[in-house]
Amino acid sequence: MLGLDDIVQRHRVLICAGSGGVGKTTTAASLAVRAALQGRRTMVMTIDPAKRLANALGVTALGGVAAAVTADGIPRGMLSAMMLDQKGAWDQLVERHAPSPEIRDRILANRFYQHLSQSFAGSQEYMAIEQLCELHDHGAYDLIVVDTPPTRHALDFLEAPRRIADFLDRGVVKWFVKPYFSASWATMRFVNRTVGFLFRRLEEATGISALMEVSEFFTSMSGLFQGFEPRVRRVYALLRSPETAFVLVASPEEQVLREAEYFCRKVEELHMPLRGVVFNRVHRELAAPRQRLSTEEVKRVLAHALGAALPAARLAENFTRYEALGRGDGLRLEAFRRQLGRDTVVAEVPNFNSDVHSMAGLQAMHPFLFAA
Amino acid sequence: MKPLSAALFDRRLLIVAGKGGVGKTTIACALGLVAAQFGKRTLIAEVDGAGRAAHLLGMALGEIGKPQALRDNLSVMSVEGTVALAEYLEIVVPVKRVLEAVLSSRVYQYFVAAAPGLKELMTVGKIWYEAERVDPNTGRRAWDVVILDAPATGHSLQYLGMPHAAHEVFRTGIVGRESQRLVDLLTDRTRTAVNLVTTAEEMPVNETLEMYKRLRDELHMPLGYLFINRTHRAPFSTADADRLEQRLAGLPEARTRPVLDEALRRAREELGWTAINHAYIERLATQVDMPAVEIPFAFVEEFGLEQVRGIAASIEAVLLRPARRTIHHARP
Repeated sequence: MLGLDDIVQRHRVLICAGSGGVGKTTTAASLAVRAALQGRRTMVMTIDPAKRLANALGVTALGGVAAAVTADGIPRGMLSAMMLDQKGAWDQLVERHAPSPEIRDRILANRFYQHLSQSFAGSQEYMAIEQLCELHDHGAYDLIVVDTPPTRHALDFLEAPRRIADFLDRGVVKWFVKPYFSASWATMRFVNRTVGFLFRRLEEATGISALMEVSEFFTSMSGLFQGFEPRVRRVYALLRSPETAFVLVASPEEQVLREAEYFCRKVEELHMPLRGVVFNRVHRELAAPRQRLSTEEVKRVLAHALGAALPAARLAENFTRYEALGRGDGLRLEAFRRQLGRDTVVAEVPNFNSDVHSMAGLQAMHPFLFAA
Repeated sequence: MKPLSAALFDRRLLIVAGKGGVGKTTIACALGLVAAQFGKRTLIAEVDGAGRAAHLLGMALGEIGKPQALRDNLSVMSVEGTVALAEYLEIVVPVKRVLEAVLSSRVYQYFVAAAPGLKELMTVGKIWYEAERVDPNTGRRAWDVVILDAPATGHSLQYLGMPHAAHEVFRTGIVGRESQRLVDLLTDRTRTAVNLVTTAEEMPVNETLEMYKRLRDELHMPLGYLFINRTHRAPFSTADADRLEQRLAGLPEARTRPVLDEALRRAREELGWTAINHAYIERLATQVDMPAVEIPFAFVEEFGLEQVRGIAASIEAVLLRPARRTIHHARP
């Protein structure tokens, strides 16, 4: 029977996915710490704007570049962390791919670009994957652990490259933007009534100057992204490669599990390899159903064993309240596990009553993540 | 700032935001129940089409973009940017044939799928539309209160910042003007309030503090209540647990021993959470200038409508009480 240790050892890329608030960031960091402890050069990458990984690793600022994590017990140079800075990542991409300094400057100075790279949503997911590919190609790490953005739709992350490629490569730019400047545009306006109508609407809607900036932006960008399609194909090849493993992180709440179920179906459809599932913050019931005790009985046991000085009723009530939680969690998890494939590794981490945001906290998860 | 109390529901748009997994949908639904109880015609709008709010209120997910009546005064709607854009085009493109040609063209589909920020802008636009919509039959606004169950923090900020960004780019023209109207609504303290939901733990609190600062200093949005969800308050002391432990140490092995050990472990767990929650509630109290409501942790096998009703009842009790202290302790 495989365990998460095998998953960590056998892959070069681990992608931790799941809905927000289930402990993805801590799980990703904890897996990375494990790999580093085993002597693999490991990078943990987060694309979360809320800087949660920084908290989890006890580092205050990570920036868009790789930072070595120095902590007691971690072999020197084995663990690095990175937080993707959305703005910085776009700039880097432009710097790297711009065919000339003039085009680079023109893009960087474009008002539409400045807003796009700072505040427009959706680009984040794409940039994360772009960054992942680059780190992977670079080869400086044996393992890259990726913490995906805190979206309710974990799949946005997987679909971002395709969407951007559709946009940049499939003639959208050509149709929407380039003709606007070209001589043939005037004729097209008459020939194609739909397009003519759309453009009149767009002019009205945006004001010409803004549209010019937008179209200039896309014209410059389309040059930049020449050959984008092969890159996207490579991204998907990496996501589907045997080197890559998806680890789904979930908590035992009904909503979360419903979304996790959907995610499992989708990754299968996309032929991406779901290798492990981590259930976080799990409560378990002490008693098997037949041995369940009522609050009254527990209270009697407590009072009998311990005498009257203790608030037996309250302690007993607390016991049965947690048993109820454990019973619910257990039922939901068993139902979920039945749907998983046989070769999907499952790990269960209890609900620690301390925040897991220190190196010690991350390591405290190990006995549960990597239980034999 | 005046205490919000029941006047909270005089605002037309109540946004419920916070980190993923802290219970935003639960609080949004509970607020919806309270508003409806107060006689407000209320719409709960959920961004992203997952149907969480509808599900929690015991309904199947309806058609996206269409309000679904749950009971008198309470409806639920799921909002999605692409659908909202198509709906918007229906209004601005009067010729049906042209509209169909546009919507079915591949160029349009690629454009909508990838155009940066468009979906976010249209989502906020749809919320605005519902908040301001006037029913032509009655001449009144369709809703007294629209409660927005917002996406997780990072995405919320992108959504809420979108109209401003769009206005900056498209100053003139329809997009510029309409974005300005969205910004006006979002920043108007007579019409809008952003409520934050958090749990009293390290990471949610960090995100809450960050979001609070950005809402206040960058987006200049009016703030409502801070809901501190799932708080623990052990009804016994550490000394009680210590005494229990001492007695257990001297106890002979018995059939009931596992129960006693577990009772101790659970007592310690509850005390641990109580201490953690307490520390973070203090931190929130010193750094967040918003009236706060604590919502107790629900120890149940399965969380559902009954629990949402319980939370609604405790929120109602707090809203009706004259506000004196900063933090209110809601009791189940």
